[in-house]
Amino acid sequence: MESNNATSSSDPPSASSRKGEVSDLKLQLRQLAGSRAPGTDDTKRDLFKKVISYMTIGIDVSSVFSEMVMCSATSDIVLKKMCYLYVGNYAKHNPDLALLTINFLQRDCKDEDPMIRGLALRSLCSLGVANLVEYLVGPLGNGLKDGNSYVRMVAAVGVLKLYHISASTCLDADFPALLKHLMLKDKDAQVVANCLTSLQEIWGLEASTSEEAAREREALLSKPVVYYFLNRIKEFSEWAQCIVLELVAKYVPTDSEEIFDIMNLLEDRLQHANGAVVLATIKVFLHMTLSMTDVHQQVYERIKAPLLTLVSSGSPEQSYAVLSHLHLLVMRAPFIFCSDYKHFYCQYNEPFYVKKLKLEMLTAVANESNTYEIVTELCEYVANVDIPMARESIRAVGKIALQQYDVNAIVDRLLQFLEMEKEHVTAETLVLVKDLLRKYPQWSHDCIAVVGNISSKNIQEPKAKAALIWMLGEYAQDMQDAPYILESLTENWDEENSAEVRLHLLTAVMKCFLRRPPETRKALGAGLAAGLADFHQDVHDRALFYYRLLQYNVSVAERVVNPPKQAVSAFADTQSSETKDRIFDEFNSLSVVYQKPSYMFTDKEYRGPFAFAEELGNLSIGTDSGVHIIAAHGVEANDKDLLLSTSEKEDNQGYSNNGSAYTAPSYHNSMTTGAFEAPLDLVSLENLSTQTTSGLAIDELLGLGMPTMPSPAPSAPALKLNAKAVLDANAFQQKWRQLPVSISQEISIDPRGVVAMTTPQALSRHMQSHSFHCIASGGQPPNFKFFFFARKEEETSAYFVECIINSSTCKVQLKIKADDQTTSAAFSELFQSALSKFGLP
Amino acid sequence: MAGAASALFLLDIKGRVLVWRDYRGDVSAVQAERFFAKLIEKEGDPESQDPVVHDNGVTYMFVQHNNVYLMIASRQNCNAASLLLFLHRVVDVFKHYFEVLEEESLRDNFVVVYELLDEIMDFGYPQYTEAKILSEFIKTDAYRMEVSQRPPMAVTNAVSWRSEGIRYKKNEVFLDVVESVNILVNSNGQIIRSDVVGALKMRTYLSGMPECKLGLNDRVLLEAQGRATKGKAIDLDDIKFHQCVRLARFENDRTISFIPPDGSFDLMTYRLSTQVKPLIWVEAQVERHSRSRIEIMVKARSQFKERSTATNVEIELPVPPDATNPNVRTSMGSASYAPENDALVWKIKSFPGGKEYMLRAEFRLPSITSEESVPEKKAPIRVKFEIPYFTVSGIQVRYLKIIEKSGYQALPWVRYITMAGEYELRLI
Repeated sequence: MESNNATSSSDPPSASSRKGEVSDLKLQLRQLAGSRAPGTDDTKRDLFKKVISYMTIGIDVSSVFSEMVMCSATSDIVLKKMCYLYVGNYAKHNPDLALLTINFLQRDCKDEDPMIRGLALRSLCSLGVANLVEYLVGPLGNGLKDGNSYVRMVAAVGVLKLYHISASTCLDADFPALLKHLMLKDKDAQVVANCLTSLQEIWGLEASTSEEAAREREALLSKPVVYYFLNRIKEFSEWAQCIVLELVAKYVPTDSEEIFDIMNLLEDRLQHANGAVVLATIKVFLHMTLSMTDVHQQVYERIKAPLLTLVSSGSPEQSYAVLSHLHLLVMRAPFIFCSDYKHFYCQYNEPFYVKKLKLEMLTAVANESNTYEIVTELCEYVANVDIPMARESIRAVGKIALQQYDVNAIVDRLLQFLEMEKEHVTAETLVLVKDLLRKYPQWSHDCIAVVGNISSKNIQEPKAKAALIWMLGEYAQDMQDAPYILESLTENWDEENSAEVRLHLLTAVMKCFLRRPPETRKALGAGLAAGLADFHQDVHDRALFYYRLLQYNVSVAERVVNPPKQAVSAFADTQSSETKDRIFDEFNSLSVVYQKPSYMFTDKEYRGPFAFAEELGNLSIGTDSGVHIIAAHGVEANDKDLLLSTSEKEDNQGYSNNGSAYTAPSYHNSMTTGAFEAPLDLVSLENLSTQTTSGLAIDELLGLGMPTMPSPAPSAPALKLNAKAVLDANAFQQKWRQLPVSISQEISIDPRGVVAMTTPQALSRHMQSHSFHCIASGGQPPNFKFFFFARKEEETSAYFVECIINSSTCKVQLKIKADDQTTSAAFSELFQSALSKFGLP
Repeated sequence: MAGAASALFLLDIKGRVLVWRDYRGDVSAVQAERFFAKLIEKEGDPESQDPVVHDNGVTYMFVQHNNVYLMIASRQNCNAASLLLFLHRVVDVFKHYFEVLEEESLRDNFVVVYELLDEIMDFGYPQYTEAKILSEFIKTDAYRMEVSQRPPMAVTNAVSWRSEGIRYKKNEVFLDVVESVNILVNSNGQIIRSDVVGALKMRTYLSGMPECKLGLNDRVLLEAQGRATKGKAIDLDDIKFHQCVRLARFENDRTISFIPPDGSFDLMTYRLSTQVKPLIWVEAQVERHSRSRIEIMVKARSQFKERSTATNVEIELPVPPDATNPNVRTSMGSASYAPENDALVWKIKSFPGGKEYMLRAEFRLPSITSEESVPEKKAPIRVKFEIPYFTVSGIQVRYLKIIEKSGYQALPWVRYITMAGEYELRLI
């Protein structure tokens, strides 16, 4: 047991009297230690309970440690448990005392009762004392081989605990290998599940420093392992199923048939009563079908019903978690829930956190056909329920209005809100009307008529007041009283606490003055004077600026303060699509709840074991040997990425320069023969003069000089690639997932090419010289896998290639994806011709 | 990402730690306690009540049960849905052991609490949460003396939810088909949302390893068997089963076959999103006479067949918070004023189908109303009821077979009941 601790719920009544009691306890325990009299266990039990209860309310009872250990010789399991609990609590901070416990814990690890073996082993592993790890290795090793599954289950997690205390001890004892064996062989599902979690953590953490660990981690995602888990999935407990499904979601099936098989197998998991299992299954479905547009849509249809049930049944906490996920899905595919909007109507008694998410859902699913009804429902909330809910609902109405559609009806509704004369409603609505006018200036006439009737005295909230003042300034022309209202506001300058409001006021009087100078003169004078005297730096500066501007030239001031405005077409989306994709990658985790990728809320050392992105950064562009295939799934967000991808960009640049047409493709690797250097130079000169960067053009020229080579289509190729194109690994992964496969085929390559393929780097360098940039490569003979990308010359349109080469059969499997699908055939041709030249003299 | 939990806390209503279990040693109790106490202090602010909150690199997920908070702290990007559900399972486990989960029961049983916390999670990963299995190796004091401890047999068993060697003198199964009707009616009397959530709740007292088979009047099944389905069959949307049900079997031939856990559990839940007619319809007219008197007239009508009867009907009518001196008359049942809920509660013990009852209530209002009164919270009318021997969906249990190798005869008891779930009618 680890440090079990509890803080007192109330201060210990009198510390000194308790101290006396503790020493009493000590004495009594000592007397009992050696006793074998009948009934001893019962007395012990009462005493132990007392000790534990003191510990729980925060009294330090570490002074009875040695007595407790002495009393540990018992066959009573409840006593033992209490003893383990006590030991676990104090051992960490008293390593010397902890040594005392080793002996009896080790003995208990050999007890004939498997229950005691398991508990003792768990306690032993949980002591957390670094210099005692040597005592752990033996019992753990035995535990993993124990005949009883309870003990094995404890031992499997115990290995992970040991790893966290001393990684080297754990690895030296070769425990991961034992775990792996157990994972693939054990009959008990919970043992298997614990092995999996432990291995995932250990290899995940090791992978950054050890190639072998990285390989092992990949092996967890290999077909045999994943299938093994899939076949046993029904044996696992609901929690273990979540873990297995999480693993499956990271697996990259080789073809669509495999995907269908897996989905068919997991179909019934969607009917599981545990919402977490359902969500985990959904993750598998969504991630596997990303590149299959049609199927992906079908998946959305399929998961709809289970998700809606989860929202409406179960605890509010579950609704909260599920709604967060629904929100993410609806952002990606708004159409799926647009006819089910009624499921997101709020119930009176629901907690606010659920209502708030439901409002977000309603905003997200609104479209032409349902806007009217949704807005009607939202208006009910504005009028009926509590203030926070009313505010959120108004915001939701506003968001729908800004999105689209039936703006006419919505504007009417918003204006009705203003007539309700409830302060919070008015305030919230004003802010929205302002945003609305910025997007739809054509509504200014209707809005201003109503806004004009609002007395600024009734508005207290700074945001609302600022909005009102902005409208007064902006529509000074249409609002009869604007100058006078502004005047009275400037008169009460000192009473205005918010700097934001004062800043808006300054601008508004300026605008008003420029339109209606005679009437606003007084207000402007007062405003500027007050602004200059203002203690807030920004207000002061703005007043001074306006003052000087007016002094300098009124028409310039007009241009500065009141330039012609264009309606805002779309307000900035606060989240980049990249961030959204990252959150989607982390489906079924906290990221979705927070709407942030995990690197934004977890400390570095606690980020998940599967940090692919980091690895990908290292791999890109033929780095060192020993690289392996990248799974295109499960990018763990990591702020290190940014650093990596820039450095990697430089790498890329370096290569590109080598390979760019200005210097001609430098065949400085093994395939180059000196004889070619002269023509190459010639080529480069020519290229320089024509300013082309096409690798193909060069190939053509080279091809002329080398009749043995299969020459590519002689007609001027329509497709030219950018030799310097740069793409970071994450962008590649995203694109790869988003785009459909446009060409998938198998071709044969010249065996001579295969011979040259000693390392994956050789090919990536060769392809680089043809403007196909390698993003990642890896594999062991005979199987190699590459990801390439290329960009069209002078265009952003890009191509993505997955290329699997089997060097024993000389077969190559190509999968090509492209932004511009119409040219993918031409691209494929280009790619194949470049590939066919590999390894040829 | 299989993120692990760092620790599990049991806190009292003020956010103070009662018992906690540190699983990974990377969070401190003091910090968690301080943070959480601050969080629930702000109870007035609903924004802070999300069940998942983040503070300084640590995520706290919590649920409340009676006067106890159960909270998980984690430093990793863990599976939120899974852990929140886990907390609810922990509540179930504690309830199994202590009957009621509250501060007192935790304090009285902290040794058992520690034992349980030790088994339900290991190093932050959920392990076993079925109370039935846990009770195999953790006995409360009452059980403690009986038998020597056995290793948890169910752990080694392929049937993790049931252990071997269960014995009953009388073998019985109780199956309750419970349907809750959720309905939302707007102020114009239109139904804007309705659905039915059904559950097959089972209580089994069976010996050995019984094999059960359940037949329903499921349309797909009946059609597959080529039987007439007119009127008798039903369509079930989105069915979810307890883990004991062999799902593959169900997918193949729609047979629900399973080895049940011992005791009570939900065998199956389902949802119907078809429009249902409100079983009890309530209309209210509110009239404000002058500024000092308010009169409410309510009509309640049962809209189901006469042979059924609703029982324990409770109609909660919202009244203004400052109303006083209630004067109520009803044509049936009794009404009581519940000022703490700003409501008048009208109770009718038995409400047969096709009947209509009335209530008339009058309240005094303070004649002086403050100018800046807080905007009124207009609560809806809410209705609770139960209708035995009746289901909205028309679901029927056609058979429940129990086969055990010892060949005993078991008695299946089936009951149907429909109740109000979230049943709300908005006032004008």
